[in-house]
Amino acid sequence: MVSIDLAELSVRDANAQLRTLGEAGEAVEILNPDARHHIGVGLTAPINVNVQGSAGYFCAGLTDQARFHVSHNVGWGVGDNMYSGSVVVGGNAGAIPGVAIRGAEIVIKGNMGSRAGQVMKAGTLCCAGNANFMAGYMMYGGRIIILGDSGERVGEDMSSGEIFVAGNVQDLGSDAMLTDIDSKELQSVYEFLDRYGIKAPKGFSKIVNAGKKLRYGTPETPMRSIPFNTFSGDSAYWNPKVQEDITVKAQSGRYRIRGYGGARPLPHLSDIGFRKDLTQAGADRDVVSTVQMATEIGGINGARPLKLSMPVMIAPMSYGALSRSTKYAIAMGSAMSGIAENTGEGGMSDAQRDAAGQLIFQCLGGRLGWNIHDMRRADALEIYISQGAKPGLGGQLMAKKVTPELAEIRGIPSGIDLRSPSRHPDILGADDLVIKVEEFREATGYEVPVSVKLGAGRIRDDIKIATKDGFDFVELDGMQGSTGAGSAEVIDNVGIPTLPAIIEAIEALEEIDARDKIQLVLMGGLRDGVDAVKALCLGADAVAFGTSVIVAGGCISCMQCHIGQCVTGIATQDPEHEKRYQPEVEASNIHRFLESVRWQIAAITRGLGYDDVTSLNRDDLVALTPEAADITGLPYEPPMADTAQGQVGVTS
Amino acid sequence: MCGIAGVMYRGSDKAFSTGEALIRMLDGCQHRGPDSTGFALYAPETSGRLKLRFFIDPESDADDDVAIDAIRQRLVDLGAAIEEEARAGDNYRVTILYDGDVQKLSYEMEHAAKVISIGTSLEIVKDVGSAHDVDDRYHVNQFHGTHGLGHVRLATESDVKPEASHPFWATGFADVAIVHNGQITNYWKMRRRLEQRGFEFTTDNDSELIAVYLADKLAQGVKLQDALSTSIDDLDGTFSFLVSTGDEIGYAKDRLAAKPMIMYEDDDLVAIASEEVSLNRLFPGKALNTREPAPGTYATWSRSI
Repeated sequence: MVSIDLAELSVRDANAQLRTLGEAGEAVEILNPDARHHIGVGLTAPINVNVQGSAGYFCAGLTDQARFHVSHNVGWGVGDNMYSGSVVVGGNAGAIPGVAIRGAEIVIKGNMGSRAGQVMKAGTLCCAGNANFMAGYMMYGGRIIILGDSGERVGEDMSSGEIFVAGNVQDLGSDAMLTDIDSKELQSVYEFLDRYGIKAPKGFSKIVNAGKKLRYGTPETPMRSIPFNTFSGDSAYWNPKVQEDITVKAQSGRYRIRGYGGARPLPHLSDIGFRKDLTQAGADRDVVSTVQMATEIGGINGARPLKLSMPVMIAPMSYGALSRSTKYAIAMGSAMSGIAENTGEGGMSDAQRDAAGQLIFQCLGGRLGWNIHDMRRADALEIYISQGAKPGLGGQLMAKKVTPELAEIRGIPSGIDLRSPSRHPDILGADDLVIKVEEFREATGYEVPVSVKLGAGRIRDDIKIATKDGFDFVELDGMQGSTGAGSAEVIDNVGIPTLPAIIEAIEALEEIDARDKIQLVLMGGLRDGVDAVKALCLGADAVAFGTSVIVAGGCISCMQCHIGQCVTGIATQDPEHEKRYQPEVEASNIHRFLESVRWQIAAITRGLGYDDVTSLNRDDLVALTPEAADITGLPYEPPMADTAQGQVGVTS
Repeated sequence: MCGIAGVMYRGSDKAFSTGEALIRMLDGCQHRGPDSTGFALYAPETSGRLKLRFFIDPESDADDDVAIDAIRQRLVDLGAAIEEEARAGDNYRVTILYDGDVQKLSYEMEHAAKVISIGTSLEIVKDVGSAHDVDDRYHVNQFHGTHGLGHVRLATESDVKPEASHPFWATGFADVAIVHNGQITNYWKMRRRLEQRGFEFTTDNDSELIAVYLADKLAQGVKLQDALSTSIDDLDGTFSFLVSTGDEIGYAKDRLAAKPMIMYEDDDLVAIASEEVSLNRLFPGKALNTREPAPGTYATWSRSI
């Protein structure tokens, strides 16, 4: 047995040693842990680790195969996201023990804190003492064994899995119920207790999901095919969209769920223009070769940056909302253009990983598809806090889209209306977030950039928090961003538009003299290279395209994303529909679109008199409307509208 | 957006001075708040004397004596006799003999200068930077006393300024201090209620509100533990806070337990902090039998027990 003394070594150095010892198959004891955070994070070898004392937050987090024993207490999130392997804690555990585990066995000999086993997928969490409130909150699978009392609201909004309580069941959470135990299950529980040397109680109460809230009573009605441009309604007051809204609500009796972005006019990048006359900007057909566009994102704190051939990346969109073929096509298209793709929620597939040149791996509150192995093969990690289309809300994936294959990669039961939580179990403030970021860095040896996706809300505060919490870059998403499915009321009415979002973000960073301490990627309804250049002029380091990439890759904007029967094979998991989609063909289409963006960025940059995109600045812009002038502080110059907007795209 | 810590010695401060204990605890959780650090320190009461601390603007040109003279003059006008005075870092510290109404004195002084704390036993030291930075400036480690609170802050809603740092003193009430992790969502409603009764607030910070809320109850003769009990019902939001008076220390925690808190108690002391790693800094190499206060609970400890 090798000893690592934390009185002499930092946790970071200790974890690096642990990984090396793990590869060599050496057992390890950790001395003087003194409740430090992140002990053992990122270990993926089948070794024994004995922690002699108490550990802090995320002990054994993001691990696979290792067997941990902690002699005393642990802080929040013991065994976070652990695949296989085990943790035995001799004392008490803080909040969210066993959060998001995917097969591990976690045993707490003392009491455990609130929200035990939140969003766990598989494995066993066992507590010999009492649990605090909301044990099993939003769990998707696995089992929790509590030998003491259950705590309040046990099984709150669990989707699947079982909770066995030997003590008093204080009260049941929403959509949880008591049910009978069969002898086989009981035997399995007793075997587990015996294996960990825990005295078995006489009997158990069993709690499962009651199934009352997992599905809507009435399914979402398919819509008439009103394309998005018509759907947006333009100026007409009682337009086709309003009419359709009312008709659908008359069927379902509730708010509508739909995909795509907001359908009402808001101040946007089209309300600003360029100061110079750009009518000749497209004259040089080889303009791309004359402008420096290569951009590095994510390296400012020493991680290995994304190397983009131009300041553009793909916005996060999930495998789930989109078909596997679509994600594959986007991955290929992004690689052909030398930019980065993003997994969105719901995990990483091998095909996507192999096809994408550079891939950002996104982590959401449900931790669906999140795991240490895919973190290791990602080019950047991203903590999703919220999204521009529906800031502050969780997500919903209709049961029809939750196929066995998709359920497998997300680690959940198939065929349920999947609720993605709106909050992370372990991020309840900026102070927790800093510890989470550190966990990701520990798990990936500080080599991979870590970003945060923020839906525009309280931007001034959020950007400052993101900077202080040590993120490498922010993906800032305005209200014009789209979603695979969201409440139509929220999509249309809630959020901060993209234009004020970038303005406020830059102002906030300047207020704390930190513009060089974080990079900003702007997204939310950006359509082409013209929008991209405007965003860069306003201060973004790069931009991301979502909807326009989908449209380039075959979307006909029929607005049926949420139904799951997408005729183009994009927003569907139905193999019959998906087989219509030709990934290779669409990848080329996406690539050509991205090259048009490249050409536009180059032509405008050149037209503005620069040979490097980093020279673009605010002084290149004017406001075309009084509202945009007010939002941006740019001079209001309406006469420039014609020349600034019109000509660039035409000659390309 | 922060980390909190509190310690109360049952006898005299032993292994570490009260100041040193808090420095260690805050250094242990500095990751929760790198922008500013503060201490509320309690020494045994010196009868009848009030200790006042003020911020003096370090930017102000020439002699700061102008600002200090103004404070002196104001104190004398209000009937206080100055016994001792000193500059410490960017603070002006003065001990006075005063037998008038402390609330009146507090408000008058707040109008004339930036008051950090007023108390017979309490002194607050707070500034931008880490626990060690603040210690270097104000020599907190040399402070021997009976109990104290500490706070590390990650500034978001307001600037990184010494006066926006924590702990907060209950404006108008001697010897009541608070450190708070969380957010009070019915802040304005609660504040207006207190303002209608004549209380003044010097910041828009919700921690100051909790301090004044509790101090008001104490002034009405309510016991600290009963004031904490009603605070859990009256305050809306997420909170884990510690409060201290001349001879008591207490905590309250909201029902959602969104903000962490953990405590350790033995024959010599009571220590409470956001994270166990802070408690362990008082006992290096020792596994502690700690306890996590349950959601929606409160407790107090008194020097007299």
